[in-house]
Amino acid sequence: MNRPKNKRYGMVIDLDKCTGCGACMVACMAENNIPFRDDDTDKLLSVSWMQVYRLSNGKPFPHAEECFLPRPCQHCEGEHGHSPCVSVCPATATDYDMHTGIVSQIYTRCFGCRYCMAACPYHVRQFNWWDPVWPEGMERALNPDVSVRMRGVVEKCSFCYSRYQTALNRAYVEGRRELAEEEYQTACTQACPAGAIVFGDLNNPAHRVHQIVKPDPAHGGRPRNPQAFRLLERLGTNPKVYYLTRRDWVRRAGDNEIQKT
Amino acid sequence: MKIDRRSFLAFVLGGAAGTALSPLPWKLTDDISIWTQNWPWTPVPPKGETTYVASTCTLCPGGCGIRVRRVEDRVVKIEGRKDHPVNRGGICPLGAAGAQLLYSPWRVRQPLKKVDGRFVPVSWEQAIGEIAGELRELREAGSPEAVAWIADTDRGTTAELIRRFLTVYGSPNFIRTPSAQDAWETALYLTQGQRATAGFDLERTSFLLSLGSGLLEGWGTPPFVFRACGAVRDRNGRFVQVEPRLSKTAAQADQWLPILPGSEATLAFGLIHVILKEGLERKPFVASRTTGLEDLRRNALREAYAPEAVAQATGLEAKTVVELARAFAAAERPLAVCGRGAGRVPGGLQETLAVHFLNALVGSVNVEGGVIAVPEPEYIRWPEPEMDAVASKGMQTPRVDGAGSDRFPLARYLLNRLPEALLEGEKPAVRVLFVSGGNPLYSLPDSERTAKAFARVPLLVSFSSFFDETAAAAHYVLPAPTYLERWEDVPGAAGFPKPVIGLARPVVAPRLATMPTGDVVIRLARRLGGTLRAAFPWESHEVCLRQTFAASWEPLRRNGFAIDESFKPQPFETASRRFEFGNADLKRLAEFRPLPAPGDPGVFKLTLVPYDSLRLTAALGTPPFLVKALESEILWKNDIRVEIHPQTARDLGLADGADARLVTPRGEARVKLYLTEGIRPGLIGMARGLGREAHDRFLAGRGVSTNRLLAAVEDPSGFEAGWGIRARLERA
Amino acid sequence: MEEPKSSAPSSRSESEKAEKGDGAGAAIILFFILGLAASLLVGWIAFPALLYSEKRQPVDFNHALHNEIVDHGCASCHFFREDGSFSGAPKLAQCVECHREANSDDPEEIRFVEEYVKPGREVPWLVYARQPDCVFFSHAAHVRMGGIDCAVCHGPMGESTSLRPYQENRITGYSRDIWGWNIAGIKRNSWDRMKMDDCAECHAQARVPGGSVQTQKDGCFVCHK
Repeated sequence: MNRPKNKRYGMVIDLDKCTGCGACMVACMAENNIPFRDDDTDKLLSVSWMQVYRLSNGKPFPHAEECFLPRPCQHCEGEHGHSPCVSVCPATATDYDMHTGIVSQIYTRCFGCRYCMAACPYHVRQFNWWDPVWPEGMERALNPDVSVRMRGVVEKCSFCYSRYQTALNRAYVEGRRELAEEEYQTACTQACPAGAIVFGDLNNPAHRVHQIVKPDPAHGGRPRNPQAFRLLERLGTNPKVYYLTRRDWVRRAGDNEIQKT
Repeated sequence: MKIDRRSFLAFVLGGAAGTALSPLPWKLTDDISIWTQNWPWTPVPPKGETTYVASTCTLCPGGCGIRVRRVEDRVVKIEGRKDHPVNRGGICPLGAAGAQLLYSPWRVRQPLKKVDGRFVPVSWEQAIGEIAGELRELREAGSPEAVAWIADTDRGTTAELIRRFLTVYGSPNFIRTPSAQDAWETALYLTQGQRATAGFDLERTSFLLSLGSGLLEGWGTPPFVFRACGAVRDRNGRFVQVEPRLSKTAAQADQWLPILPGSEATLAFGLIHVILKEGLERKPFVASRTTGLEDLRRNALREAYAPEAVAQATGLEAKTVVELARAFAAAERPLAVCGRGAGRVPGGLQETLAVHFLNALVGSVNVEGGVIAVPEPEYIRWPEPEMDAVASKGMQTPRVDGAGSDRFPLARYLLNRLPEALLEGEKPAVRVLFVSGGNPLYSLPDSERTAKAFARVPLLVSFSSFFDETAAAAHYVLPAPTYLERWEDVPGAAGFPKPVIGLARPVVAPRLATMPTGDVVIRLARRLGGTLRAAFPWESHEVCLRQTFAASWEPLRRNGFAIDESFKPQPFETASRRFEFGNADLKRLAEFRPLPAPGDPGVFKLTLVPYDSLRLTAALGTPPFLVKALESEILWKNDIRVEIHPQTARDLGLADGADARLVTPRGEARVKLYLTEGIRPGLIGMARGLGREAHDRFLAGRGVSTNRLLAAVEDPSGFEAGWGIRARLERA
Repeated sequence: MEEPKSSAPSSRSESEKAEKGDGAGAAIILFFILGLAASLLVGWIAFPALLYSEKRQPVDFNHALHNEIVDHGCASCHFFREDGSFSGAPKLAQCVECHREANSDDPEEIRFVEEYVKPGREVPWLVYARQPDCVFFSHAAHVRMGGIDCAVCHGPMGESTSLRPYQENRITGYSRDIWGWNIAGIKRNSWDRMKMDDCAECHAQARVPGGSVQTQKDGCFVCHK
């Protein structure tokens, strides 16, 4: 069977445009059936596939600057798909797909050892300590395209894989195997009111993500755009989420190089 | 044959062997492992056909186009409409959480009546009948003006039905909830003679100067403003935020000017001073399209607005003020905006006028990239209703909030003055108070006084779909369907520079025994009979909508919105047909004086400044997704965290995360501290929107409402102009 | 002296043992066989009978009859929506297109019209092939792109004149068709079983190499959600 070319779906987030409003987080919650609890203020225990972090330049008033950094799963490719989490999973519950470049998480396969959480340098993975419970009637708003996770498993951002599946369905009935750029977009990308998120295939020179970051395949996808950077680049995790900023201190913070004050 | 231990063992062995040779253990293992993956209490959302319905969001005055994803008859997700001119696909966090409001189990399920302090369900028939009875009595007693109605908009058919009802009934007391638009509308009227709302052509400006506006925190229509702010940079423009704290807006701006709170207008006058002194004004525009500049010169060129004095008043450096003025005036399309935070407080009229003058000086009024007077929509053309003697007499009485009186001739609505009016006299001036929008018991400053005032009203009727603070205090709750269950015309999008009308439509059938407020108005009128009945020939609000739009109904229904793309700013409508920096009305205004924060600075060494967050709502309850998304720098467990500068904390001997008692002249609260370099020393930054007494368990009882701690501050024109209050922090 | 004494009892006991051993051995074998037989009976017959509860379909639908009348075979009622999703069991609205009134004097059709069409009640069809919630199955990918015939997975359903009973696994809640009707899991036809291995088997044949780094087969998200 002739199969389509391999994709490397990735994201570029313009930190100079991000307003930290949280629309991406809420759109993600609605799309992906993220549960909520009475007290979700402890973000280490709160399940949220997309989390907006606040970075500070550490300088005193009035030279203080802040930057908001939305953090989905970075979908690391590592070397040949050996991303930190995939390498350690003893249950084959998480996997790297060379066809899409997406790191999957199969909840029914996961037995909750949380090794992947320890391995992930980006804190994108969260453990379901509690049964997902919706107040009476609110379960009506659950999205059937995404399965609800049971207690005791690890979950994380899937780049809205269900949207890829539904987009492919439409393409298939129309007799196509390839998706147009706008056909598959994540919920956060679509929602972002500032237009700060761009999503697409990093392998495809026609896609905006490719044009913006100009990934360098010879150096593990390192961006050739000097304003683009990846989180903890030095670890060699080869993530597919790129960030853009004109601010040097933000780029330095992205690789943990910020000076402590 | 004897059955002994051996034969028993043989039997067991045989059984084991047989079991191993049967499918039982293998199948059972498989099934049990599957069972562990499918706890019966983990919900499995039913599959079905996915459809999308285009509608309009009404959760804020933005009027974004939304695309509601349904699976069969369930609303699953709300997304922004890509083809909508206002939000172009973007959506704010509140809009994205809309389905949670629809399916909230804390909605009001049917009409409620308070009996002995507790709500009991009643039929619509009974509720409307009883309220109509009260209204009839009041009218027969000859005091129809004792009825007042608070709504969150004065536009659209529902608002018009309410106003028509009040008019024919005989009450002038239609009150719109306050916002920065109040001051902007008045400023436009005073200087341009136009009855219009202020639109801001943010997408075309090249120098955006925000004097305290939370452009990225809910000001205007968020997706539109967000996109525009980003676009300023794309065009190599400049974006300057003037604000005492490093808000999200300030964080994204090219320059943050941490001004002393409350001195924004002084800075605006200071900028005008520099521009006039250095002759930087856009001369062709000023010469050909404005008049009365002498008045402004006289005012702004005083020593009080010279850079040094302004530096003193604002806490900025004199050279910063001068540089800012020069850069602003030199920009191709400069634009200054004001309206603090999300623009939910009008702020002083003088403040808005100062900013408006600044725009006019650089030629940014009614032009591309400037402030644009967007005319009020005129699609509602109903025949004048017939009024009887009672109504005519009632309509002659002064408004209860004092708007339009000799004291406050310029204001149209002054909800902030209502509590005072209610507290006056032996009997309150309002006998029946309807609240169909906003949530005044939560959103007005000085909550304690507000609650006391509203408690004096003998009949308080709320139309809230949710148990909010006002509904909880009401005598009747007549729940309206949510915006996903009803028809509603939504004229205008806050801050958007073109006239646009959106249409909200029933995406799903009403879930509960609710009734659109327009229908309640029509039914009340019918009950009251006479001229009231005659004034409402429509069977229902929906029929009224169709007839009002007539031929344009079908296109509107199909499109979901109507926009006048060819809209061009209208000529000025003043007597001079020019923009007036000075005229008789402006001369009558009291001289501008910055309003200080209430409280004795000797006792209260710090100043509390409230701020807005897009993850918290002001009137409406914040849905669970937003509470979940709320930063732990704002809410920690059940405590609100207030921002203070580390130096301030050191002076007080308090550390990050410490519990503290926040005391203001109006009240005190337990808070936790959040230390940040992003706030002026001496200030306490506190998020608006927490400390809810009603609503769901995710929101209620968490944190503290800023309005419990704030006092009402009024500018000479009557507008609510509070920006903070003196306060102190003590170790808890 | 002591030695023979000591040996005699032992030889006696051995012979006793041997004597007893014959009888006891038979008993042991008998009991072993008894145990074996009982557990085989339990495992092969009682267990499946207990494991599944049986339900009847709400209406005894005749696929063969309908298949003769309609123009587009299975797709006449089980169609793809515009967005590429598969409609599955038809909604009442589709049935009503032809069955506003009963078209025959078939008592089952009359009952269907009385119980469902007239009150406008959806028919609660029991779907034999329903996969668990964690599975994403794309009919479009298999039928449209893969060109796979419905019968490959669903068997000759279109030729059935009557709906067989639906059996539900009491432990998992799944339809029996997922594991297959053969309790041993033995599969003769491609449609006999619909477990993950069955999907994987076909996928492995159809496409090499897969995208999965872990398994070298197809990625997990191809069929999971």
